[in-house]
Amino acid sequence: MNNVDNIIDIKGLKKSYDKGKIKALNGMDLEVKRGEFVSIMGPSGSGKSTLLNMIGALDRAEEGSVKIAGIDLVKTKDLSKFRSQEIGFVFQMHNLIPNLSVLENVEIPMYETKLSSKEMRKRALELLKAVDLADIVDQNPTKLSGGERQRVAIARALVNHPSIILADEPTGALDSKTGAIILKLLKDLHSKEHVTLVMVTHESYVANMADRILNVLDGKISNE
Amino acid sequence: MSFLSLVVKNPFRNKTRSILAIIGIAIGIMVIVALGMVTGGLKTSTQSTLKAGGAEITVVQTGASGFETTASINETTVGDILKLNGVKDTAGTLRANNNTASGLNTSASQGQATSSGGSSGAPGTSGPPGFSGSLYITGIDRSKLSLAGIDSVNGTAFADNSANEVIIGKTAANNLNKTVGETVNLLGKDFKITGTFESGNFLTDGGIYMSLSTLQNLTSNQNKVSNILVKVKENANVTDVSNTIEDAYPNELSTTTAADLAGRINQGLSFIDTASWAISILAIVIGGVGVVNTMIMSVYERTREIGVLKAVGWKDRRILGMILGESIVLTLIAAGVGTVVAIIGVEVLLTYSSVGGVIKPSFSLDIFLRGFGIAFLVGIVGGLYPAYRASRLAPTEALRYE
Repeated sequence: MNNVDNIIDIKGLKKSYDKGKIKALNGMDLEVKRGEFVSIMGPSGSGKSTLLNMIGALDRAEEGSVKIAGIDLVKTKDLSKFRSQEIGFVFQMHNLIPNLSVLENVEIPMYETKLSSKEMRKRALELLKAVDLADIVDQNPTKLSGGERQRVAIARALVNHPSIILADEPTGALDSKTGAIILKLLKDLHSKEHVTLVMVTHESYVANMADRILNVLDGKISNE
Repeated sequence: MSFLSLVVKNPFRNKTRSILAIIGIAIGIMVIVALGMVTGGLKTSTQSTLKAGGAEITVVQTGASGFETTASINETTVGDILKLNGVKDTAGTLRANNNTASGLNTSASQGQATSSGGSSGAPGTSGPPGFSGSLYITGIDRSKLSLAGIDSVNGTAFADNSANEVIIGKTAANNLNKTVGETVNLLGKDFKITGTFESGNFLTDGGIYMSLSTLQNLTSNQNKVSNILVKVKENANVTDVSNTIEDAYPNELSTTTAADLAGRINQGLSFIDTASWAISILAIVIGGVGVVNTMIMSVYERTREIGVLKAVGWKDRRILGMILGESIVLTLIAAGVGTVVAIIGVEVLLTYSSVGGVIKPSFSLDIFLRGFGIAFLVGIVGGLYPAYRASRLAPTEALRYE
């Protein structure tokens, strides 16, 4: 029986690549409570990023059930609305659009909402202020430092008030000092916005900031 | 920023590639619009020529086209044709050619009215810079001007048998920069312009008219005419009268009706129209290939970005709309550029060419709508496949793309 407090409820999840030769997820079970901060650790190829993609509805399961924020992702046909409303992604390489300004990059996820341009701008400015970038909203991302770019990416991830933030090694491309600032920012926003935070990381000190650490090995949670 | 602003902004990420694509499509649109303007102008001229009054039948020497300056019909035939059934009025006209190839010259040495022109003398002093080409001079009795389609004259018509008076068509007056009261040197002799006229016929309005006897004397063609204009009676059939004239002068005289002339011109125009459509189709194909190439490159380069857009919740159809929109933006800009270049090009070409005074370019909305319509179509056709491809990208694969 599913726990209603679980925002992530995965059972027997399987996913393979290369015509079944590579088993990325091999019967994974995972439960995460609403508002929890969970770190996922594990060696390369263990299935961490695949798990994140499954939670974020970027990929589909071959077997098992995936229920996120009460939505059965296996049965849902169009997952774009789910991604828009429930998920915020923070990538290792920030993935900002280079020809758009900082403000425009943050506005991008809101195109699928019914907000007016004015409302979109207001919401984006609020978040950019929250990540301390209010004075460079018209800058091009190519002129920003790595830390600033990642802060823009965090603002973009939060702009649609998602239930879950999925961060795939958000400090992986940053120096330790900047990485620490980004982690603090993520943790603060997680508390302030009451958002569930699932973060993939290689580094123990980063993982230790979470409420819970999950170790993934051979496509399964090996221990907590 | 609105979605539309994003679509307009995106094509200029790679300015060089976009500008090259725009140039490619703009050339096609320019050709379509320019040809449309010229053929449209020709059609308008033809229609106004048909609507203009005057004789319904032109009688020429058999084998002649009606535009020659050879005087080979005896003037007495003019009176003889008048006696035929169904003929209301006739007028003998003599045509001479005053070559103005120098650009300023409206004069010539004492010339013969010949098919090659009859001008070989020293340059004169009248005429605007830039105008070049042949100026037709027609000799006709003052009382018969209405048969040439000249119903009213601004000023006064030349006096019968006056040796030095002419009237000038509006187009010729503009080309030569002449007006009433000024003199013009024709066939080596100065003539006073007593009036100007506008018949609506681009050929008539591009010429000069003087007394028949004066031109006959000037070109040593006494009692000869080049052709005979025939006005038929209200209740008579133009074809029947035309046949009657040809039957009366077998192997000697031929007739051309206004309808025949219109048919010939329309045939030519329809050929140009067909060519114009063929060029349009070619432009669609070439432009389409260019747009497909540009957009595929754009999608290829932005694969990871498209993955991000999917990750943040963009629907497939929004991505399709964005790429398709970018393609349409490119082609519509090309349509704008092509149209502007076509307008300037046609205006410049007609201003500095011999047909400039004769053809007025058409600015019909249809022509511009056709240009923009074709550009829009090229945008959709060219953008459809890259847009579809972008919309079908798997988010995880797109995000992994390096």
